[in-house]
Amino acid sequence: MKKPPFNRFSEIVSAGGATVWGDPADIGKVLEGKEFDVVLDNNGKDLDAVRPVADWAKSSGAKQFLFISSAGIYKPTDEPPHVEGELVKADAGHVGVEKYISEIFEIWSAFRPQYMIGSGNNKDCEEWFFDRIVRGRPVPIPGSGMQLTNIAHVRDLSSMLTLAVENPAAAGGNIFNCVSDRAVTLNGMAKLCAQAAGLPVEIVNYDPKAVGVDAKKAFPFRNMHFYAEPRAAKEILGWSGTTNLPEDLKERFNEYVKIGRDKKEIKFELDDKILESLKVPVAV
Amino acid sequence: MASLVVVQHKQPSSAVLPSSFSDFNGARLTASVQYKRKLWQPKGALHVTASSAKKILIMGGTRFIGVFLSRLLVKEGHQVTLFTRGKAPITQQLPGESEADFADFSSKILHLKGDRKDFEFVKSSLSAEGFDVVYDINGREALEVEPILDALPSLEQYIYCSSAGVYLKTDYLPHFEVDAVDPKSRHKGKLETESLLESRGVNYTSLRPVYIYGPLNYNPVEEWFFHRLKAGRPIPIPNSGIQVTQLGHVKDLARAFVQVLGNEKASKQIFNISGEKYVTFDGLAKACAKAAGFPEPEIIHFNPKEFDFGKKKPFPFRDQHFFTSIEKAKSLLGWKPEFDLVEGLADSYNLDFGRGTFRKEADFETDDIILGKSLVLQS
Repeated sequence: MKKPPFNRFSEIVSAGGATVWGDPADIGKVLEGKEFDVVLDNNGKDLDAVRPVADWAKSSGAKQFLFISSAGIYKPTDEPPHVEGELVKADAGHVGVEKYISEIFEIWSAFRPQYMIGSGNNKDCEEWFFDRIVRGRPVPIPGSGMQLTNIAHVRDLSSMLTLAVENPAAAGGNIFNCVSDRAVTLNGMAKLCAQAAGLPVEIVNYDPKAVGVDAKKAFPFRNMHFYAEPRAAKEILGWSGTTNLPEDLKERFNEYVKIGRDKKEIKFELDDKILESLKVPVAV
Repeated sequence: MASLVVVQHKQPSSAVLPSSFSDFNGARLTASVQYKRKLWQPKGALHVTASSAKKILIMGGTRFIGVFLSRLLVKEGHQVTLFTRGKAPITQQLPGESEADFADFSSKILHLKGDRKDFEFVKSSLSAEGFDVVYDINGREALEVEPILDALPSLEQYIYCSSAGVYLKTDYLPHFEVDAVDPKSRHKGKLETESLLESRGVNYTSLRPVYIYGPLNYNPVEEWFFHRLKAGRPIPIPNSGIQVTQLGHVKDLARAFVQVLGNEKASKQIFNISGEKYVTFDGLAKACAKAAGFPEPEIIHFNPKEFDFGKKKPFPFRDQHFFTSIEKAKSLLGWKPEFDLVEGLADSYNLDFGRGTFRKEADFETDDIILGKSLVLQS
């Protein structure tokens, strides 16, 4: 746990929390004798990983179980957005977990997030755009760039989870899309990142098949509409979103520069392959 | 000055439909209950309750939205007058509407014949009559609204049919009521009207629909698809086909208009009114086919820049994402759409196009330009 963001867990302790290290499969042993009112699993992606935690939570007397699932389980639709209660992919790992906890807990909730931004993120989001914008490189985006996605500031996710903990009666038995209340297009996200950085941007839309790249490897977002709305949270928990991408990305860019990532040596092999195939020049 | 015109509209015979045309207040299979418990319940009765019968003026009311709205208001017991030039019949029997319902409606609806651009006449005739509430369904310019406000100083409420077309185009959607508007848009008259209403201090409510659909639609929305499906033609859709738009059924819009009447939560408020879910262009083509019982259509994507269509539009929707959040109306008014997309399109088809009626003749000129040229985008 020496690498960021995991080396920041000390912040939890300074804030008055506690950290315990161990394998989730052995949670019963690691936390022997301890009792909790609420258990939140933000780790497991399938029943194999979560069952030991859920079973221990139940047997140790926890009243409320919260699971961080994924909006990726929704079946694609012609009628966005994804709304709680709609069809999900039955074979998805997260779906198995949601089903299991709904069976063994009275007060259970599942949260289905999409993409998030914020300090300490262990997965690149806006950084992917900044990496290219700050180096004056074109931003290659698969497809038309009109694909809608939902990018939330992590404070929106935390506030939703907090409300669920504070209102177990309302939250219990419900699924919540854990996302911001707006969608952004992929091209739009590139433009917002550029605006936040105060720099120009050259967007290059391409057809991954024609170019011969796997869009999943070349681009960090789904190459399709992937857009859920937080309707249940608003209606049931009285939650409201505060994500404001134009403003939030400015703060994100400031940190990006502060940690020196703008100066980092990065190889853009897949980008180069795409741009070469399209004969797009890259300024050195 | 009120005159009553009753017109019997001859319809081709057709099978009896399960739903009555004039009875559309809620006999619907709603989506399965998604939420078990709510922290708070939105307030808002389904019907106008406490308010006593009002003397209501509808500017327009004989073409599409007003046809449904006026029926609801008359049923609620209000005295309803339609202000129109009288070019279209004041009443028309709607497909599926019983003789008894139509006769009842026709006997109660009133007509004030005039041109709303004749401001002097508007002012004098309205002040002579006096109305409690005005529904402005066909107003486009702020100038047209002033004489109405001048004529009715004790007006209780001015309810305006605006448009989501006022929103400034963005990559960051849906449009919420607080979002930036475009003072240069084609609908700037609607914006100017909203500003006028705000500045005059009158108790106004403005509804911003997106694309309205349903039986009697004079805008070629669903009709455009139905013509092509019926002709067995491919559906030409510009660019990617993943542009997301939003349709709202006219009956749901009419109910929203009734819901805001005398509703203090609606005072000086603007509401987006449309369907619960949005839809891609490709998805809409498929939904129309499904609703009308046609096989899944062949969709051809084309690049509009590669063609010269002259003055004609190759596709009836704005080539961009265009959808709004309706949560303000849902939470403040307790209103929600009853039709989902395929159901709503089926309602439109069964009561209109499917019976052989439509507003615009099929015109495949732009389709043929697209199909004729071998350069078409495939994916």
